[in-house]
Amino acid sequence: MQHIGTLASILLEGDADKAWECIQRYPAVSRLDVYQNLLTPAMQQVGHLWEMNEITVADEHLATATCDFVLSKLAFHPDKRRSGRKAMFLCLDGEQHYIGLKMVNSIFEEQGWETRYLGPSLPLEYALDFAKTWRPDVIGLSVGIVYHLPKLKDYAEAFAALPDSPSVLLGGRLAGLYDLRPYCSADTVILRDLPETEQWLRHFETGGKKHAGFGSTASSSVFES
Amino acid sequence: MQDLDLPLPLPYLRVDREGKITGSSALAQERFDLSKGHINSIIDEESIKKLSQFRWVSGLDSVKFELNMKTKDRALALFDVHLQWDLDDHANMILLPKDSANEKLTQKLMAIQHRLAETDFELLEKKEELEQVLRRLDELSGPFIPLSGELCMIPLFGDITADKINTISESCLQSVFKGNYEIILFDLTAVGEVRTDGVEKFIQLVKTLSFMTGNVIKLIGIKPDLAKVLNHYHLEQWVEFNHSLEQELRVYLNH
Repeated sequence: MQHIGTLASILLEGDADKAWECIQRYPAVSRLDVYQNLLTPAMQQVGHLWEMNEITVADEHLATATCDFVLSKLAFHPDKRRSGRKAMFLCLDGEQHYIGLKMVNSIFEEQGWETRYLGPSLPLEYALDFAKTWRPDVIGLSVGIVYHLPKLKDYAEAFAALPDSPSVLLGGRLAGLYDLRPYCSADTVILRDLPETEQWLRHFETGGKKHAGFGSTASSSVFES
Repeated sequence: MQDLDLPLPLPYLRVDREGKITGSSALAQERFDLSKGHINSIIDEESIKKLSQFRWVSGLDSVKFELNMKTKDRALALFDVHLQWDLDDHANMILLPKDSANEKLTQKLMAIQHRLAETDFELLEKKEELEQVLRRLDELSGPFIPLSGELCMIPLFGDITADKINTISESCLQSVFKGNYEIILFDLTAVGEVRTDGVEKFIQLVKTLSFMTGNVIKLIGIKPDLAKVLNHYHLEQWVEFNHSLEQELRVYLNH
């Protein structure tokens, strides 16, 4: 708990070096542990501080940018093993909450996937163009704001209709809060948090592919910034 | 609800303890859909909790906080809200739109992030290109040269690395297997630096070839430093060290 509060205030200061030190001191079992139990709650704490009127949206932007930097540093590993699989990740048009998406991207990378992280707010036409030429096995989407939900169905259906029929994953803060099934296409896999994502990935690699089932062990929401 | 005729430059709302809107300025009516008459109807759902903590603030000091609100044009717009309770127990709220002030900054930040991400991609693509080039170079650094029906030669160029030997091994083993060669020469004259993992792979290759042909493998053009390294591995059983290609070829030509 103490780590979380400390990290949240460091992120709000915008001090990337201190944030890195703080993460190094955290007794992590795995990278997923750092994401799920340190960075995600720290960013949730930042959101909470806004609700308590202790910080402004501008402060949140700074914390996000600092967290982004730390994530890039955490994800950097010079020798990656290759599984030969490809995954691309993007946020819906207008969606700026990308930190969780970036974490998922790096979990895939860690498992030897070749990934393309296309970041926040990507219009559908660009995403489709990219998917057609790059031909990924998995397309990961993230949504954090309720007003972007109406667009979700278009994205999910367009990706599902691609010639290679990639697996379409959906995460984001809302996936942890609400049942997003009505906004997806039939095959969309909804992942509520990082452990669930990792579990899905394991199933996929052992051949379970799209219909890997899950227990309802989801705790906190993910893909959040 | 009471309309206020004051020409206020910012939207103004008056709200009672229950959240009912009891007064509004012209600008507030222009910006917001006030038809429901309740403050919660023009606030983003996730900001309602935030506002409610100010519902019980007492005293006459004004407070300032940010809220996400629903305007007629936008489903989500950030406002600085200045709130003060009056003696009639009503909250007076002035709403200062914030996005315009932040927008330029946010856009710049996004543009920079976008550029970083793009640069990252370009680097990634270049890295992949480079890896291919290196692999191609490795392939070309150990050409297989058949000299006669029984004799073939593989000159190695450049540094001996594990990657390079791995790359060469595959085609080399196949060629030897297909051609039924008996004598294999490795020319190491053009070898640069030698890495430990590279040497180990090379020795593996040499041993495999020796098994396949049933003969010792001949190494020529060995420089003193490489000789020192190879000496550690006790290869007498597998290889024969010869001085130069010329000497070696003379043996076969006279044969």
